[in-house]
Amino acid sequence: MITQEKYRTTVKELLASDSVKMVIGYKPGSTPDRRRPLFIRSSDDADQLVLDSTCITNLSGYLVAEGLLSDEKRVGIFLRPEGIRSINILAAEYQLNMDQIVIFGFDSTGREVRPLEGRHSKDFSALLSDIKENSPQISKEPLLESIERMNEQERFDFWQEEFSRCIKCYACRQACPMCYCRRCIVDSNQPQWVNTSSHTLGNFEWNVVRAFHLSGRCVQCGNCDRACPVNIPLRLINQRMAEMVLEGFDHFAGLSPTQEPVLASFKKDDTETFIL
Amino acid sequence: MSEQQFEPNIIAFVCTYCTYAGADLAGTSRLKYAPNVRIVRLPCTGRISPMFILKALQKGADGVLVSGCHPGDCHFTHGNYHARRRWMVFRSLLEFTGISPERVKYSWISAAEGSKFADLINSVTEDIRKLGPFDQYQQMIKDAQSPATL
Amino acid sequence: MTRILLSDKLDNCVERWRSAGMTVIGPVQGESISRYAVVENGAGFDFGMILPDRSVKELFFPQTEPMLRYTIKKSEIDTADFPPPQEKRIIFGARACDASGLAIDDSLFGWDYKDDFWFHRRNESVIVTIACTKADDFCMCTSLDLAPDSTKGCDVLLRPLENNRGWQVEEITDRGREAFAVIADLLQESSDQAAPTAVVTEKFNLDACVTWLQNPENFDSKFWKEISMRCIGCASCTYLCPTCHCFDIQDEGDTYSGIRRKNWDSCSFALFTMHTSGHNPRSTQSARWRQRIMHKFNYFPGKFSVNSCSGCGRCSRQCPVDMGITETLQEISKLQS
Repeated sequence: MITQEKYRTTVKELLASDSVKMVIGYKPGSTPDRRRPLFIRSSDDADQLVLDSTCITNLSGYLVAEGLLSDEKRVGIFLRPEGIRSINILAAEYQLNMDQIVIFGFDSTGREVRPLEGRHSKDFSALLSDIKENSPQISKEPLLESIERMNEQERFDFWQEEFSRCIKCYACRQACPMCYCRRCIVDSNQPQWVNTSSHTLGNFEWNVVRAFHLSGRCVQCGNCDRACPVNIPLRLINQRMAEMVLEGFDHFAGLSPTQEPVLASFKKDDTETFIL
Repeated sequence: MSEQQFEPNIIAFVCTYCTYAGADLAGTSRLKYAPNVRIVRLPCTGRISPMFILKALQKGADGVLVSGCHPGDCHFTHGNYHARRRWMVFRSLLEFTGISPERVKYSWISAAEGSKFADLINSVTEDIRKLGPFDQYQQMIKDAQSPATL
Repeated sequence: MTRILLSDKLDNCVERWRSAGMTVIGPVQGESISRYAVVENGAGFDFGMILPDRSVKELFFPQTEPMLRYTIKKSEIDTADFPPPQEKRIIFGARACDASGLAIDDSLFGWDYKDDFWFHRRNESVIVTIACTKADDFCMCTSLDLAPDSTKGCDVLLRPLENNRGWQVEEITDRGREAFAVIADLLQESSDQAAPTAVVTEKFNLDACVTWLQNPENFDSKFWKEISMRCIGCASCTYLCPTCHCFDIQDEGDTYSGIRRKNWDSCSFALFTMHTSGHNPRSTQSARWRQRIMHKFNYFPGKFSVNSCSGCGRCSRQCPVDMGITETLQEISKLQS
């Protein structure tokens, strides 16, 4: 509550002084446990703002909405550490100018929300480095562990079962801050790499392609997983790929706005064991 | 060997400067190798998107081979380094979704390695033959061509 | 005295219907989601849920359906049709909103062209609706002149008994009577009272909304942009909707042969209206959300005299950013009054 009040005041000040043209945050949703994205343009509206542990959605995708940042004015946004990593990646991929982003950082443990010190992406670099160092110690989700213990055929069957529910609504893509392509590969038809139909093959291809394109870019905010209307555990694929790039290339996505994208860079001594 | 031994369909995506030239050398040297491989020539392994691999499997390939210049020898100086990272990531992704990594092979073959090319094609063909038809993918392809069930 | 069906007779019913050559389908709670699925015995049904996560639409209009196989030869093109499935089905335990959705879409699929895939399934399916005795915050059938026990689109209506041991049976159509003739001896006369139907509060004033939507001045209202700012442009609302019916025809194959398919498509996608030239008449998400609302409550009723919404509330329930038809129409109601 204190954090929320403090931030309301700050947001009001920044809007009143025209330091930011808009603040993207959260407001109450249609049921008590829901929060919805809020776009505040005037300080009068800042009282709608809520900040508690149920504010989970990673809002950073809204920053790359067409035209929002094109006037070079500044925009404020409420972000958890994953969200800060997301905008770092967006900046590294030249999708936004970090100088235009004012960050209202927060994190929560249990129901307690606490503010994160800083307003600019660079203020959080120590925090993000810590998260990277601690990430190998975070215990894995039991389901991910059990998938890793499966044999090939079992894993194949597991994912076939999960993907069989896919309806290709592309909520996973639309909810993902990293999926900003003007034209997604599945929407391209010259050539058409991936079947657009939502049959077994098309669903498998889509989910593999999505995961591949997010490898080394996903910050595991969970937006895709929560958006999926048929509850495919998409977070698990993303987690596995994040582990892979961390182990293989010491890459932790979104550490800084100047970090080189993992698949657009290389080391001469990248070690592999499978190339004949 | 059984009378009707399984003949796998293998698609090879190769770079034009090294592996394709190696294949050429194998040919001009009259080296005999398994006829199961269809070669697709590309400018560089850096151009070989995982989409190509998925497409080959989608069209019914039992195995895929991707091959290019040895590290350090890329005509474009570092296309193969980029490709290598991509392969590592893609390979582990396929593995996680239950596709045998043995179905998609990677190699470095230079323009001078005609005999390595011939040997590799033979061994890859033999490996894929042992794995048998790619039933998992064939089933998906069949599903995609069947009428709706309900 | 009314005729009732006891729950413990359900096993026998399923058996009877199956031996009469019908596939029995009902609400099933899976590990991750609930949906209408094939059941093999009485224990397969789950009647506890408010409504399945996925609508009954997909049993009549699947997310992808092959229509024909084509082969292009030197001087001719061979085609072979995929016939619609021939089996008879009984959908036991549909919700009133889902059944109404089917009736609403009948008008669309049978308008200028009669869609065989849809009507074949419709004609071979018996819909047995179970009236709702509970609802959640998102249910809104009553706001659309429907009800938890609406008989629209259903062949037999069942009302849960107050003592929870079965249902009162009300046959609505001949098709329903025929299907229940198979199990006639399993029904019995009883004076058991039906449980009260769920109370679904009226969420918005539909008439006011329609008046507002029909006013051409409001087409360019800034309201549209405000209400849909947070829309991320996915299709979960349209794909879960029991009445959204848009589809795309795709040829899947290569230059010489392939399969022509009918796939779900959604007005939420930018690509839905994209021209080959690159021009997009609905270039913003707000224009696309406006289209969805206008279509459901203005254009569709203008053509077919019925709203293209049956009030199931799945759009709001599932929305990743907590939007939906309810909120939009509530706001429009306020604007109009």
